[in-house]
Amino acid sequence: MPSSTSNFKRILRLPRLFFRPPTEAESVHGGPPLEFERPIPQIPWRGMTVVVVVIVIAAACAWEFYCRSIGYGPTLNDNEDLWTLTRQRVKPESIVIIGDSRGWFDLDLDELQKGLGKRPVQLAMGGGCGYPVLADLAADKTFHGTIICSFVPWLFFAPPGTPPMERGEKAVRRSHTQTPAQRASQYLAMPLEEHVAFLKQEELTLDDLLKRLPIPNRSDARVPPRLPPYFGTLDRERRARMTEECARPGSELQKRIQQIWLPLFTPHPPPSYIPTDVFMAKMKDAIEKRARDTIAAVEKLRARGGKVVFIRLPVTSGLKALEDKTTPRNQTWDPLLQGTGAPGIYFEDFRELASFNCPEWSHLSAGDSVEFSKRLVPHLRAALGM
Amino acid sequence: MLFNSLTFIVFFAVVVTAYWSIHSWTARKNLLVTASYIFYGAWNPPFAALLFSTTAMDFWLGRRIAKAKDQPSRRAWLVGSVCMNLSMLGFFKYGNFLLENFQWLLARIGIVYHPPHLDILLPVGISFYTFHSLSYTLDIYRGVLQPTRSLRDFVLAVSFFPQLVAGPIVRAGDFLPQLVRPPRLRIGQFMWGLLLMTLGLFEKIVLADTMLAGSADRIFGYAGPLVALDSWLGVIAFAGQIFFDFAGYSTCAIGAALCLGFHLKDNFRFPYAAIGFSDFWRRWHISLSTFLRDYLYIPLGGNRVAWTRAAINLVIVMFLGGLWHGAAWTFVVWGLLHGFYLVIEHASRALIGERAWTANFAVKLLLGLITYGAVCLAWVFFRASDFTIATRMLRGMFGGYPHGDAILATREILQIGIVTFFMMLAHWSLRDINVETAVTRLPRWVVTSAWALMACAIILTQGTSNAFIYFQF
Repeated sequence: MPSSTSNFKRILRLPRLFFRPPTEAESVHGGPPLEFERPIPQIPWRGMTVVVVVIVIAAACAWEFYCRSIGYGPTLNDNEDLWTLTRQRVKPESIVIIGDSRGWFDLDLDELQKGLGKRPVQLAMGGGCGYPVLADLAADKTFHGTIICSFVPWLFFAPPGTPPMERGEKAVRRSHTQTPAQRASQYLAMPLEEHVAFLKQEELTLDDLLKRLPIPNRSDARVPPRLPPYFGTLDRERRARMTEECARPGSELQKRIQQIWLPLFTPHPPPSYIPTDVFMAKMKDAIEKRARDTIAAVEKLRARGGKVVFIRLPVTSGLKALEDKTTPRNQTWDPLLQGTGAPGIYFEDFRELASFNCPEWSHLSAGDSVEFSKRLVPHLRAALGM
Repeated sequence: MLFNSLTFIVFFAVVVTAYWSIHSWTARKNLLVTASYIFYGAWNPPFAALLFSTTAMDFWLGRRIAKAKDQPSRRAWLVGSVCMNLSMLGFFKYGNFLLENFQWLLARIGIVYHPPHLDILLPVGISFYTFHSLSYTLDIYRGVLQPTRSLRDFVLAVSFFPQLVAGPIVRAGDFLPQLVRPPRLRIGQFMWGLLLMTLGLFEKIVLADTMLAGSADRIFGYAGPLVALDSWLGVIAFAGQIFFDFAGYSTCAIGAALCLGFHLKDNFRFPYAAIGFSDFWRRWHISLSTFLRDYLYIPLGGNRVAWTRAAINLVIVMFLGGLWHGAAWTFVVWGLLHGFYLVIEHASRALIGERAWTANFAVKLLLGLITYGAVCLAWVFFRASDFTIATRMLRGMFGGYPHGDAILATREILQIGIVTFFMMLAHWSLRDINVETAVTRLPRWVVTSAWALMACAIILTQGTSNAFIYFQF
């Protein structure tokens, strides 16, 4: 610290000086004028600042051009604050879409509005479990509308503490605790994200770029599998649309994503520190509890006049084979409908819904999602008794 | 409002522009008070009322202390201030903790009691602004400060937004004198403030959140046993994370204050180059350690009493310092460990004395690394949410699980290693000077490039508005 600091301290510690009557200049509080000052480096600040500003603007522009040249476009980031803004649009009689990314990509809000008479609110989330949102809407005593719940067994029955469940819980928690500052930040971020391609969380951040470095891991390291790269855009209503590059038959991006789904949807080996039989018993308990909780939430909603319909959206090729094997319909979908007594629409049961191809095996292209939604409407109307 | 948020960037730009555009000093101070309350209210508006009420009470009590005719009256008013502040802190921060421990104690003597769980929302930064406010009445009582006549000035001293929620703990006696005369806009000071804000945000967003936080969170959140390498790396990652997080906030606060013409003192001075624990506490969270020293350790007798009493004083101070950080026994153990370290150090100094060989650089380096290792061990209790995790971590670190899991990717190991290496290099290189001196000595192109690189890295990282660790305290 500079010597002025110790001067300041000395003055403060000398009561004789300090308790003298204040002069006019000191009349506000009676203390001595400031003696402590931080040292300021004596360097040519103006010139340096201009150079820094020029470098930063040039680097940001170059990065933006590069990102666009490799296929990235401006789109909103899906985060808890955007989800919360959408959640706040739910009215007592709204139609709400919840669940995972298939409900997010595959359902077109315009077509559903045309067919159902109301514009649905999109609350499904990528890689998310629909249960926390279902429970939140069931606990919302003002809500007695309709819930369309996309069902992917691996995600819907994800136990507490797993990423799909945490994603849903975090979003719900934020909707109850969002501060004015967080809300303001979201409003400020949206126009920027709509115009700047490199503002892409979970994709073009420094952290994500580092994760892409081809560095081999230790053979025994239990490292979480990678998530798929950017393949969709999002608007302010949280309507997700697959990018053209991903939808283009045989594209490299498509193939990369297909190969990422397989390890992501393959059941992870039990943790090393829990015996396999104990782990399997815990998982079974967790799934049964989720089923019981879901039944309770549906009943609560139904008692208020609300409706729930579960939908199983298209999945194709290698991923369908994997899902059919690891989460067979008779062990997941059938008991869910039986337990809740809610109507359900399984894409395979209807020829007009089963004929779609998912470019990267898990989601429909933007164009197909419109046609699919159009064909889904009559089934939804029937299921909801409209 | 977080420093690393878009809202703050807009808020700060508006406040700074308006502040330097207004000529009247009174109007400028009014602007800062309003801005500070908006800054605080942006988290939870009702808590702004709580902040104002404690500030107003201390303002009034400060005047009563100064006007009191005799020592017992002065003491009574001071006790009133201390009780008011600490009971507020106690209710919001320690309410449930006290009830849980009371329940546990009753259970030990066979009484079954189920207290209601108080659904208390902790006002952000309450530990900091309570101390800002408390320093005022304490200094008036000690006779080193006269009460201010302006409630607005005192409100500003307590709530000044750069340091309001996570420090540094700025004493009223350090801030009030700066409200006498209006500061002049100096381009160098303003730009240095902006550079410090860039440095602070870089430390927080890039180094703490991006390079280290993920690994530390995964290691401390893992429910199973870990091999020694991963356990140590998790703790080392946390040691770096908490430094960059908190020092980053303090640097931002100092920079933001400079942009407005105010001078806040350093809160960190390259603490991981500390040689010994006394040195560590002269470098880490300096505003808290000096607060505890001046208002607790010295009134208890400091080191002018018998050796055993001084040792007990140290442990008491560090116990309370630990508790200040959080309502959990893990924080208490962290504080006690530091108290224990300090006692050992004082005893060693008494035994060994000042020998020539202790001035040797190799010895200093060795002692510095021992200090760093011991500090890291203590961080285990600070970061672990309970003793089960802390015990498992310590066991892992000392080879208790040779067949435990390895969960860090090679990339994460490299990130922790590289960031920690350069952090230690910077701390040891700069341990005897300050950042200002370093910047003055460096070639211009290096400073310019570093500033631009940090700004680019912040933009590239984008930030996810993670809260600063010390907000929870």
